[in-house]
Amino acid sequence: MTGGLPPEAYAAALAALPGVGPAELGRLLAGGRGPGEAWRRALADRRPRPPDDVVANGWAALRAAGVGVSVVGLPGYPPALVSDLEAPAVLFAKGDVAAIEGRRVAIVGTRNCSRYGRDVAFELGRDLAAQGVRVVSGLALGIDGAAHAGALAAGVAPPVAVVGSGLDVVYPRRHDHLWRQIGEAGVLLSEAPLGAPPEAWRFPVRNRILAALAEVVVVVESPHAGGSRYTVDAAMSRDRPIMAVPGPVRSRTSDLPNALLSEGCHPARDALDVLVALDLAPAAAGRPGARTPADTRPPPEPVEAAVLEAVGWQPASFEQVVVASGRPPAEVGLALAHLERDGWVAASGGWWERNGTG
Amino acid sequence: MIATVPSATLLGVEGRPVSIEAHVSNGLPGFTIVGLPDAACRESRDRVRAALLSSGLPWPLKRVTVNLAPSGVRKGGPGLDLPIAVALLVAAGELPSTCADGMAFLGELGLDGSLRPVPGLVPMVAAMAAKTVVVPPPSVREAAVLGRHEVRCAATVRELVDALRGEEPWPDPPPPGSGEQATAATPIPLDLADVRGQPVGRMAAEVCAAGGHHLLLVGPPGAGKTMLARRLPALLPPLPPELALEATIVHSAAGVPLPAGGLVERPPFRAPHHGASAVALVGGGSAWMRPGEISLSHGGVLFLDELGEFPGPVLDSLRQPLEEGVVRLSRARGSVTLPARFLLVAATNPCPCGRGGGDGQCRCGPAARSRYRRRLSAPLLDRFDLRVVVSRPDAATLVGGEAGEPSTAVAARVADARRQAAERGVPCNAELPPGRLDEVGPLAPAAARLLEYKLRAGTLSGRGLHRVRRVARTLADLAGAGLVVSEEHVCLALGLRGDPGLEEVAS
Repeated sequence: MTGGLPPEAYAAALAALPGVGPAELGRLLAGGRGPGEAWRRALADRRPRPPDDVVANGWAALRAAGVGVSVVGLPGYPPALVSDLEAPAVLFAKGDVAAIEGRRVAIVGTRNCSRYGRDVAFELGRDLAAQGVRVVSGLALGIDGAAHAGALAAGVAPPVAVVGSGLDVVYPRRHDHLWRQIGEAGVLLSEAPLGAPPEAWRFPVRNRILAALAEVVVVVESPHAGGSRYTVDAAMSRDRPIMAVPGPVRSRTSDLPNALLSEGCHPARDALDVLVALDLAPAAAGRPGARTPADTRPPPEPVEAAVLEAVGWQPASFEQVVVASGRPPAEVGLALAHLERDGWVAASGGWWERNGTG
Repeated sequence: MIATVPSATLLGVEGRPVSIEAHVSNGLPGFTIVGLPDAACRESRDRVRAALLSSGLPWPLKRVTVNLAPSGVRKGGPGLDLPIAVALLVAAGELPSTCADGMAFLGELGLDGSLRPVPGLVPMVAAMAAKTVVVPPPSVREAAVLGRHEVRCAATVRELVDALRGEEPWPDPPPPGSGEQATAATPIPLDLADVRGQPVGRMAAEVCAAGGHHLLLVGPPGAGKTMLARRLPALLPPLPPELALEATIVHSAAGVPLPAGGLVERPPFRAPHHGASAVALVGGGSAWMRPGEISLSHGGVLFLDELGEFPGPVLDSLRQPLEEGVVRLSRARGSVTLPARFLLVAATNPCPCGRGGGDGQCRCGPAARSRYRRRLSAPLLDRFDLRVVVSRPDAATLVGGEAGEPSTAVAARVADARRQAAERGVPCNAELPPGRLDEVGPLAPAAARLLEYKLRAGTLSGRGLHRVRRVARTLADLAGAGLVVSEEHVCLALGLRGDPGLEEVAS
């Protein structure tokens, strides 16, 4: 045995052993005799035997990557997870683990979200973080990323991301920038060892950590069979309150939240609803007549207003807007250009959609 | 005895004159063809021999050598059967030595002595200096398209020999329409009136035809993308004479049946399946460099349905022809330039599942969608001035809705817009050089402000700006507006140029 290595180094080495998943890792570390002893026993019946310096090398790599290791039962393990039945035995963290402490809300949803979902997730993330609530999410494309981006935009409470790959494997690649920002402003958590690829099985397993960390889980958008279902199930088994963002009943992406609402979950119309659930705002805090601050956008002209009405809240092609408004294409084109300039609508990939707020 | 008969062979869409020299001398009986014949050409030896014997003509039991001059040019196809037979008969003394003077011959021989048509007649005839051209009867109309030659025909070698000997008059050419070579079936004209609803799709088709702007239709299956595209040729004006001749030559060279009149006067419409190879699309392949689909659609419309299903390299091979209007094929044996000035119309689904729309409306994951979009390279997408999303019209429009405006009315506006473009010195507005946009289509102040805003917001690129301005010019022409391009037309041009492929799913 190499002297001077902390017990976390052995736990990290155990987590990195091939064929050791979260459950096996928990079993190996459960003996209570410390990670060093667990490591020696794990090696006893392992062929081929890993090289002797694998622990020291692994530890050096973790230090070099700036990744901290928390082991269940050892000091430094996040109190928020200690009592959880399926707590990760080893948790890797990039950033300050202490950032977890505080009020926490998980904002989850589908990767393939609508613009509506993305906007709502962003606003929820921003407004909750502005009230000092830690926004916990999975850093996936779509809703997760939007919620994190919102939390970062507020710049008050540190965002918490629980990812499925190793902390040196940025996934999805498109969130490279967001990944780094969260590592600096908040904390990135993973139970996967360094270098672990984003394997499909890791994501549903990761979702239980999201549920365990959250005091409230908000489902923004998800189809019935989406990955958010795992988070919801994990939250239910932990008696965590679940809130859902209402969506159009015909929108596939709002299937899960709408179903949750019909089962009796509370609606999350905006951050205030969530704050009430967290007891951070009085339930009786009457909503002011206008829930949003006064619109600063110039009011649309009559023709523009009619075209705006025709655009609707679902993505519509130029042709659909023309048909719905019953006006000549040239007039609609002009109105849309003006509406876009004034911030009433947004175009994305040939599709037009109304903007919620300016 | 020696005899020389002129003929021609084909490379790309160009005929190359070939002289057939036949030499008959004493020696061991034999028959050789020299002068770079390809396989079909070498086989003429056996066809010619059988055809002469079946026609009751004696086969010279002598040493026969046929040379195809110039001997450095590779000769392909069976079209040289007939001139070889004639040269041989003259050299063998079966025909008077001067009877074939001033005559060129083209045609394949059957073993029974009949004459059969060959593809590529128009360009080959064009290359012939002789005053008279003798072809199989079905090819008379094709050979006469150019109008430069006296065209004669004979159905069999026997008829030909009798006519050449002066024993019989030349046979009459077959009356038009009777037992001729298969003509292209006259397509049932497809009328834009059949398209119900779809105001934007119809408008895009009109602008596409009027300004020569390449068009990309994006929409779910059953939205009518193909229906719109097939009605485009009816909106285009007939081909001007030079273009019609070029198109006819290409069609003939590729062996595609010509229309009843002989000349391709209507803009062609080609819709290759997405399994097409790059060679099928741009041409090449055989020894004589058969023109591809893009050349066959010269002067007309090339419609690529399911654009996303075409292999990427195949699509990218279109970029150079799109830019230059010709395609240059270079092979080890030589290079040819084929005409390829076509209007590109493409249709694609928005995503693999097809139902797609805005974000979150379809079942495809973001990765699948961006993979699907990546199949279309950005430079290719950039070639499309018009990119419109079409959607399925609702049931009421389809069943009870009014019929749309008929093609004739739209075609009249298109012709007028093309005339205005011609006054600017370009065939259509899509070919306006950027430097002349300010001169032929100055922007109204509001329009300039809008474009400036778009440029600054980063939703429009510099190149996109020119394309939008050209489309706006076409829209103004169609609307009969004056010189100045108003804000309305710029907005509409922007509306017709969605970005269905270029934008990443932002998050």
